Amino acid sequence: MKEKLKKSPPSFAFTRRRFSSILGGAALFLSAAIARPTHAQVLSPLNFGLTPVFLTNDLELLTKLKAYLSRKTGRKVELVQRRTYEEITALLLSGQLDGAWICGYPFAQFRQQLSLIAVPIWRGKPLYQSYLIAPKGRVATSIDDLKGDIHAFSDPNSNSGYLVTASLLAERKLRPDQFFRKTIFTYGHRNVVRAVASGLAQSGSVDGYVWEVMSSLEPELTAKTEIVAVSELLGFPPIACLKTQRLSEAVELLHKALVEMSEDDEGRHVLNMLKLDGFADEPESLFDTIAAKMMLVRGLGS
Amino acid sequence: MSGTNPVSRLNPMTWPLSFKVPLLVAVLMFTVSAIITNRVLARLEENQEQHLQQLASAYLDGLSASLIPSVFRGDVWEVFDTLDRSRERYRGLNVRWTIVTNAEGKILAASDPAKFPSDIVAEKSVLAHFTDGKEVILNEEKATAFLLRPLPYQDREIGKIYAEADIGGLLQERRDVLRTLLLTNLLLTLILAIAGYLAVLRMIRPVRIMSLHLDQASQGKIELIPDSVVMRQSSEFRRLFGRYNVLSQAVNEREFLAGQLAEEEKVASLGRLASGMAHEINNPLGGMFNALDALKKHGTREQVRGTSIRLLEHGLTGIRDLVRSTLASYRADQRPRDLTMADLDDLRLLVKPEARRKRLKLEWKNEIAEAVHVPAVPVRDAVLNLLLNACASTADDGNVNFHARVESSALIVDVTDQGGGLPAHVREYLERDGAGSVPLDKRSGLGLWIVKRLCDEMNGKLIVVKSSASGTTIRLMVPPKPAELKHAA
Repeated sequence: MKEKLKKSPPSFAFTRRRFSSILGGAALFLSAAIARPTHAQVLSPLNFGLTPVFLTNDLELLTKLKAYLSRKTGRKVELVQRRTYEEITALLLSGQLDGAWICGYPFAQFRQQLSLIAVPIWRGKPLYQSYLIAPKGRVATSIDDLKGDIHAFSDPNSNSGYLVTASLLAERKLRPDQFFRKTIFTYGHRNVVRAVASGLAQSGSVDGYVWEVMSSLEPELTAKTEIVAVSELLGFPPIACLKTQRLSEAVELLHKALVEMSEDDEGRHVLNMLKLDGFADEPESLFDTIAAKMMLVRGLGS
Repeated sequence: MSGTNPVSRLNPMTWPLSFKVPLLVAVLMFTVSAIITNRVLARLEENQEQHLQQLASAYLDGLSASLIPSVFRGDVWEVFDTLDRSRERYRGLNVRWTIVTNAEGKILAASDPAKFPSDIVAEKSVLAHFTDGKEVILNEEKATAFLLRPLPYQDREIGKIYAEADIGGLLQERRDVLRTLLLTNLLLTLILAIAGYLAVLRMIRPVRIMSLHLDQASQGKIELIPDSVVMRQSSEFRRLFGRYNVLSQAVNEREFLAGQLAEEEKVASLGRLASGMAHEINNPLGGMFNALDALKKHGTREQVRGTSIRLLEHGLTGIRDLVRSTLASYRADQRPRDLTMADLDDLRLLVKPEARRKRLKLEWKNEIAEAVHVPAVPVRDAVLNLLLNACASTADDGNVNFHARVESSALIVDVTDQGGGLPAHVREYLERDGAGSVPLDKRSGLGLWIVKRLCDEMNGKLIVVKSSASGTTIRLMVPPKPAELKHAA
């Protein structure tokens, strides 16, 4: 053991040269430690959620949108899709999405936690309507004519595809299951049109914007349906984020990309496919009407 | 001649080969094609059903896998959406409609909701075609396949899939195959039958040539088949035609020789006749010269003169009769004429020298009173030959019998000798129809052959009435001439 102790290096061996080498190594370590988060920041994808509010079956549109957002934000963009509004809203509320194109109804539901990034402008306004539709040739002029139907809703968390009709019934102190013989959820506005056009449902609640866009893209399908009633103008399904994230770099990049979309060739191409004029900053009060409907329906206990 | 018999026409054995072989080919082809068509259709049907079963199973497997969760949840839209999308995926099956019911039998959704609305119990008339436990039921009348698949979930049936598929395409395909097969086979059969007919016609052409020549030969005219025709035939028929030509040549030569022989016999007969006649004339001549001498010496005496003149007259009459009958037999004018009693009686004079030479007794019985409608010259020739033959056969001092009569317009002449009887082959020769075209063998002489030839020419018959060691009777029967028959009719 003594021998071993003797062989151990003396403390005075800490020379200038050795010190320099340790310093250099530390500097290298530090620089690497500083550089890594910056590199990660560049690579971390921007998660953007899409609800079935839109024509999510169009792969070309999704590709173009993703390409535009990626170029405009300078970040890799992941488009996250789920079958229901609820799933997207849950992902957004849990912070897994930087932003999401949700419906006015979830926005009204979680207004305390969510902020607007931008609102789409359609036909010059950030507004749209809900349509009550029925198979072509059916004699019906109001919701009252649809009593006893098998009725197709889009999604229980959709404003135009559920809430508007539910609130109409709530005004009559009725729940959908009391008014209609049977209700079905198709989880897609296009599916509501399909259900009504095929005769599976005798009537349906659909996003007016989707129906109008479909009537130019798939006229043979919408031609089998007709509009029974149209709601008042309501706030267009917005792009929202967590209130706490509103000022984050990711959200700001998203906001910029959306608002400036109409000024960019690629962006205009995407807007053209969406049949929208652009995206704009709008006040949250735009969704007050929807909130009121929500309160009305909730008041009935549905 | 059998070909004209309507009964034998129905007998396939008598049908011509040129008809039978193509018919046989056609029948065989039809049989083969019927068997093949049957097999192909049966196999096609089997394959189609198997294919349909597999397709139906795949369809139901695919549907039930995606439908079970939705049916379990009672999700009308998901059920409809699944059915709607499956329409694109299973185009090969041509499904008319599909219904999915829940455990209570209520329609959850159908591929055609307008026809089968949701949330009501499916009509019994619609479900009547389906049978539990049978996944696929084919109804060819309705050109429909009925598919049924229960939807199990944790050992419980939560619903059923009912589907109706149009199998008109499959049946049409089967009909198309049948039509194509029938048409192809019909065409093939027709082509083969025609080819068979032509081939057989070509094959039997040499037989027809041979048959034609044989027909001509049977009518007495034997012609050789030309070398150009012979050389065109296949080796078998070339050999056959060659042999036929050799045979025909031999027959023709034989005919020619027979003709020559006949001429020679005629000359020989003429010689014999001439010597007989000379003898016959010579006999009275001695008496006549004696009478002349008596006239010269004692012509002044009334008695001598009368006797001498009578003797001269008698002798000259004998000579005149002999010359007359000879002229009658051999005169150049051979115009056919009817036979008279005198024609036959003349023969007695012609035979007499031969009879006298052998000291034969001629028993003559001529019952012909008036002319008989048979040709006089050939009958006389034939009877003369028969008589000469009888004289030759009968031993010296014997009897030769002649008996002529008419029975049913036919002339019948019996000539009987006292010879040693006819050999069997001579008897067969005389009695066989048409045997006169060829001479009898050398041993038998030409007399009987000439008789047979003449008899055949007159369509007559020779019958050996009696033939024994004590003698022979040969009967010549000559029917009336056809012209006379017509006249009589």
